Amino acid sequence: MSAVSPSSASDAIIACDGLSKHFGGVRAFTDVAFQARRGEVTAVIGDNGAGKSTLIRCLVGVHVPDAGSIVFDGREHPFSNPDGARKAGIETVHQNLALIDELTVAQNLFLNRELVRRIGPFAFLDRKAMKREARSMLSRLSINVPSINQRVRRLSGGQRQAISICRAVGSGAKLVVMDEPTAALGVQETANVEALIRRLREQSVSVILVSHNFDQVRRLSDQIWVMRAGKMAATVRASETSGNELVALVTGAA
Amino acid sequence: MRIFNGLTLGAGLLATIVSIPAHAEDAAKVAAIVKGLDNPFFQTMQKGIEEQAKADGVGVTVQAAANMGDATGQADRLTAMALQDFDCYLVNPISVSNLVQALVPVAQKKKPIVNIDSTIDAEQAKAAGFAVSTYIGTDNVAAGALAGEEMLKLVPKGGKVALVAGIVGDVGSNARIKGFKQAVEGKLEVVVMVSADWDREKALTAATDILAAHPDLAGFFAANDIMALGVERAVQTSGKDVKVIGLDGIVDALKSVAAGELSATVAQYPYVVGAMGVEACKAAVKGKQLPAYVPAPVLLINKDNAEASLKNFPRPGGEYPDPLREMLK
Amino acid sequence: MSNPTNNAPAAHSAGAPEESRPSLSALLLDPSFWADWASVVGLVGLVIIFGIAQPVFLSVANLQALLLASAILVVLSIGQTFVVATSGIDLSLAAAVMFGAIVLGLVNAAGYGILIACVLAVLATSAIGFLNGLIITVGKIPDFVVTLGTLSAITGLGLILSGGEPTMVGSTFLLKLASGSFGPFGYPVWVAISAVIVAHIALYHTRFGVHLLATGGQTESAGALGIRTNRVKIAAYTISGFCAGIAAILLVARIGSAEPLINTSLLLNSVAAVVLGGVSLFGGRASILGPAIGALMLTALVNGLTLLSVSAFYQPLAVGAIVVLAALIMRYQK
Repeated sequence: MSAVSPSSASDAIIACDGLSKHFGGVRAFTDVAFQARRGEVTAVIGDNGAGKSTLIRCLVGVHVPDAGSIVFDGREHPFSNPDGARKAGIETVHQNLALIDELTVAQNLFLNRELVRRIGPFAFLDRKAMKREARSMLSRLSINVPSINQRVRRLSGGQRQAISICRAVGSGAKLVVMDEPTAALGVQETANVEALIRRLREQSVSVILVSHNFDQVRRLSDQIWVMRAGKMAATVRASETSGNELVALVTGAA
Repeated sequence: MRIFNGLTLGAGLLATIVSIPAHAEDAAKVAAIVKGLDNPFFQTMQKGIEEQAKADGVGVTVQAAANMGDATGQADRLTAMALQDFDCYLVNPISVSNLVQALVPVAQKKKPIVNIDSTIDAEQAKAAGFAVSTYIGTDNVAAGALAGEEMLKLVPKGGKVALVAGIVGDVGSNARIKGFKQAVEGKLEVVVMVSADWDREKALTAATDILAAHPDLAGFFAANDIMALGVERAVQTSGKDVKVIGLDGIVDALKSVAAGELSATVAQYPYVVGAMGVEACKAAVKGKQLPAYVPAPVLLINKDNAEASLKNFPRPGGEYPDPLREMLK
Repeated sequence: MSNPTNNAPAAHSAGAPEESRPSLSALLLDPSFWADWASVVGLVGLVIIFGIAQPVFLSVANLQALLLASAILVVLSIGQTFVVATSGIDLSLAAAVMFGAIVLGLVNAAGYGILIACVLAVLATSAIGFLNGLIITVGKIPDFVVTLGTLSAITGLGLILSGGEPTMVGSTFLLKLASGSFGPFGYPVWVAISAVIVAHIALYHTRFGVHLLATGGQTESAGALGIRTNRVKIAAYTISGFCAGIAAILLVARIGSAEPLINTSLLLNSVAAVVLGGVSLFGGRASILGPAIGALMLTALVNGLTLLSVSAFYQPLAVGAIVVLAALIMRYQK
């Protein structure tokens, strides 16, 4: 179980090997191998402090790993900043930093990749096109919001999360990384966001999902990676595991 | 834009319907604009304008800038008054040029412009196509010289004196300091000159430092009374016998002189400047030819005449020459 | 502009979603409506009151004079708006105007052409704004402290350069700028109108505008989404400096000389106009028309009170009362 076997590397959207990260004297994780397959939902679970957040941050360019390699979409990276990772095709859905309250739904969906019309040396926002696109992006994922002209401040937590996911997917990203997407949501809203993630899976979007909810992970993902005390402890197919096994892997009782 | 067109149209209509009530009496109406009213000097000037207007049966409206730096605000207010039906404009500009453009419509209506206290630059006025009817103001150099002569009487020959000026580069301050220096040239030693921005607290601080640096200092001259009072406080604290002379003649300074604190002050009479301005306006409206320059009185106030001055304040303690009053007789 | 219902700024700041249009009475009872439209309501109210009390107020000549008088403040309010939209504040604005005027005066007096003098004045004030932004973002020092420091520093620099003396600027170009007119408005009014249009387009029709509001709304989130918030902030302060430069040219044209004096009421009124214009002091929410009308309203207030022969003592009181009232209403905006 503990042996981590990267299968054929070619169908991996992202793969890393021998990855280590330290903060001063504090070890976040050492010698980690991890990969996510194209078109699958890959989950990373682990206890608090197991190193999963830091690992994810290394993948999306927030941190630069001290050692090891990351191969994204067949090319060697690491990215030195989130912008580079985003340009390469990795979109992150942050826990709290996803949306700008004072902007509208449409503005948020296109933030920092606005559509423009060029007139001479000037570039003006193509607001009509963005609204049209925004509507179709939302309907493609069956997301309901009162209006795309509504300020995000007035939306519920679930709607906000759905919009940030839609934003990440709609950017044409090759890989969408979600950090605890339902942590702050109620039961009904969690169900809605889970349904959205399932639709992404049906549409073969590559997703990395960080969660501590084992049931959710089993419901939503194809492959599950378990981190424990700064190491990659195990990886299992979601269909072949049970909740009890996951608990055992996370706590090290196995 | 449409809103503005509508407004302008509505304005035109309203203006025609509500025609301005005609004044039956032939009393002249005077518009006066002075510098910031945050200074007692200009408050007194305003009082002089209003009381003289009352005495002469002249209608008057006094406006002022928001503060001494509000050059454009003063121009805006004058522009607004220029639209109204005044017979004469009494102006005390913040700078030599800030009111020039606002006075153009006044000049076009051929209304007399009486310039008081601070001058308007004659060349700029000429370029804008007008000239002021008269200028009424105090000669700051002469006032400074009066202070210098009094200082010569108060301190021993060759004594050390310090000068406290107003804002750096201020024309009035420069002239006062110049007059003082001319009067004491070769007779007293000017050891230092500082700028205290017309501010009492800054003057106090500066004077404290100067007293520490020059223990044998005999006298201070401050370019206005506010600063002189600050200096006097510093002198009192030091316990030394240092003479302090101010300039302006505000009430606090007169009281201080009467109480034997300030040694003297040179009184200018903003009240008289304002009052003479109204007289000039009245004369101009009557079609009299005004002299180009009318000097306003200055008077040295020391312990001998401080009480009398206080009693008469804000008018001078005695008679003063007033060519405009003669003209109106 | 071709599609007025589509996210027009008015609909924007009204914050009313298109699906649920509240009834008029509900709208009138909603304090946030009054907060968003404070400047317009105030201006209309003043026009009515002054118009009745003093018919001269509504004369064409006075309205033209009023617009002319408001031009400088309008331009400054636009600059302040960009900074406030990033949840900052530019306290050095009035000092920058003074500094720009001094540069203009000295360059002109040194015998260079008036156009070069104007360009250098604008460059100088823009550089001040850029420096403000740089110190605030890179140095991570609160905007309040930095611009207060700049206020004092450039005041000193202005005094040093000018020797404390006013410099005459007898340029026919500036005289024309100040007193000439095209159509119904004087040139300074056209300058202000152009500034409003350009700023409006920049705020609502460019990527920069969206990024500005995002930066002001939630700096961290905007950064997480890849917006270079530091650059946006520096740009906002530079725009503020640029506006100060334009205002300096208008000021020198208006008063005919460059004076080393700071008009503090310009700074206070620029902030007041921004508040009256419904711009959130916490950033993220802004309009250009609002502050411009706010500036117009503050000018109309002084103009009207002058026409009514109200003593100058009461005028700052009236301005202060109105601004505090607007700020109080703003609290209900959320």
